[in-house]
Amino acid sequence: MRILADAPPMTVDARAALPPRRVVADIGLIAGRNLRKVLRSPGLIVFSTIQPLMQLVLFAFVFGAIASVGRGLSYKDFVVPAVLVQAITFSAMGSGVGIAYDLQSGMVDRFRSLPIARSAFLVGRTTSDSLRLGIQSLLLVGASLAIGFSFHNGVLAAVGMVVVVVLFGMALTAFSAWIGLAVKDPETVQPAVFIPVLPLVFTSSAFAPVSRLPGWMQPVARWNPITSAIDTARGLALGDKTLFAVSHTHLVTATEHFAIWWVVIVGVFTALAVHRYRVG
Amino acid sequence: MDSTGVVVEGLVKRFGSFVALGGVDFVVPEGTVVGLLGPNGAGKTTTIRILSTLLRPDGGHARVAGYDVVRQPQHVRAVIGLTGQFAAVDEDLTGRENLVLVGRLGRLSKVVAQQRADALLDAFDLADAADRVLRGYSGGMRRRLDLGASLIATPEVLFLDEPTNGLDPRSRLRLWDVITDLRDEGTTIVLTTQYMEEADQLAQNISVIDGGRIIAEGTADQLKTKVGGDVLDLRVGDRARVGDAAATLAKAFSVPKTEITIDAELGTVLVPVQSGAAALVDAVRALDAAGVPVADLGLRRPSLDDVFLSLTGHLAEEPRPDAPEPRARRPVRT
Repeated sequence: MRILADAPPMTVDARAALPPRRVVADIGLIAGRNLRKVLRSPGLIVFSTIQPLMQLVLFAFVFGAIASVGRGLSYKDFVVPAVLVQAITFSAMGSGVGIAYDLQSGMVDRFRSLPIARSAFLVGRTTSDSLRLGIQSLLLVGASLAIGFSFHNGVLAAVGMVVVVVLFGMALTAFSAWIGLAVKDPETVQPAVFIPVLPLVFTSSAFAPVSRLPGWMQPVARWNPITSAIDTARGLALGDKTLFAVSHTHLVTATEHFAIWWVVIVGVFTALAVHRYRVG
Repeated sequence: MDSTGVVVEGLVKRFGSFVALGGVDFVVPEGTVVGLLGPNGAGKTTTIRILSTLLRPDGGHARVAGYDVVRQPQHVRAVIGLTGQFAAVDEDLTGRENLVLVGRLGRLSKVVAQQRADALLDAFDLADAADRVLRGYSGGMRRRLDLGASLIATPEVLFLDEPTNGLDPRSRLRLWDVITDLRDEGTTIVLTTQYMEEADQLAQNISVIDGGRIIAEGTADQLKTKVGGDVLDLRVGDRARVGDAAATLAKAFSVPKTEITIDAELGTVLVPVQSGAAALVDAVRALDAAGVPVADLGLRRPSLDDVFLSLTGHLAEEPRPDAPEPRARRPVRT
């Protein structure tokens, strides 16, 4: 048996500096591998889609029957953008769990010992997860429209809302990736990502306008990154006037807050995650 | 400066106050196999992780195929293959997909990666399972695929960290065959093991590592000679004649009776001898002349277990009690 002797010569010099084309190709290979894994786990796809659908129905119909935000706005229309942000927030937390599984299975060591761009593993993960979050958002928007949700602000703004939701999820994958790399054990990563995120979701403008929250909670909610994402999504879906009427915030302000938070989250947690990945 | 093989000089690595490597030196000439033999916690995995650029050393130097592992890590990665203690393969991909992915990340073109994957799947007896997802693979199949992944980009230097750890005897023998083939093709290999037999079978040179230091080096024969000569292993046909047999052999080889081991129950006699195979002839003659019936007679060299015991005062399988795990990782169904 000849294992290496018959091997063809290398077509490229693997020792040469990485051209950008190679970096993009490596990211694509790793993202493609991640997506293939998702597609091979039908159970995961079904349950991770059903769960937010159930939340959608719960909030739209059960809470919608008892809650009201006034100003002629249905609770359903009020809450759907928030449920979307919430679903994508939770979904983004899967990033760290996936990374922890890659650490445990030795795939991270495998990648780190290959002559690929150091960024390829993390950027590949963010790329595949963003795609996954994008598809999930579209599914949820479809379901929302089916149960009677309506956009008040035109098609372009509706598309903008989906973009904002996915961008927010993308930023959170950096946080989740850092936790995954730091905690390492997949079963521990799950609670480790949810413990900081869950209270942030509930102390936001998701389910009631900030002015209706308990007094002590209002400053927390006002400066909450999740509030910034929800208000921006809500403003895009319902229009600036409606947003201002229910939350006393203009779309411009919400978008500014969102942009600042996005840069901070991406910057801080990407740096932390990259450091973690380098030190191993 | 040696431009090929592996050169390790004074490698030091600390984890907190624990000194994992306290100045490790060894050289692997191009095209040879060196076995790093030692118990758990001796520093084997740490050494491999430094050589494969996964860990930075705190001191010393290491060059792999002429490239410095700290200053030229990307060069090193381009010329090495690494197979760790647990199979680093993707459970959700098929065997072929795993190999092609690693091949393409190792900068093979898509076509070449596919050709290489097919060749390796054939060579490693995995062709039938090539398009099955790994969840259905046995431990031995995963390890062979893992080795295949390390080989797809045709490495100049191959690191095998306890490649047969946790495998059943049959899978182990199969993997040994593969490693022997690679050795015969001239691949430079650094192999770690805590199995004496494995180092003996696969490696031309053995470095015995214990407590983060190399404590002995040489071929298996050289290490065995350090401990002493051969042992003549006799089983008599009639257990009642064990005493006669011992006396005859003591006289024939001029060995004091105190150095002869007798087991009257099994009817065995062990005699240390220096004359190698000639001792067998002498023994048969002497026993025949004395009329002692022989059931079995053999010459055995001291095992590497004997070597390790005499070098370190403890057996290779006993881990150091204070050694931390090299990293927190559990085997995933290997």
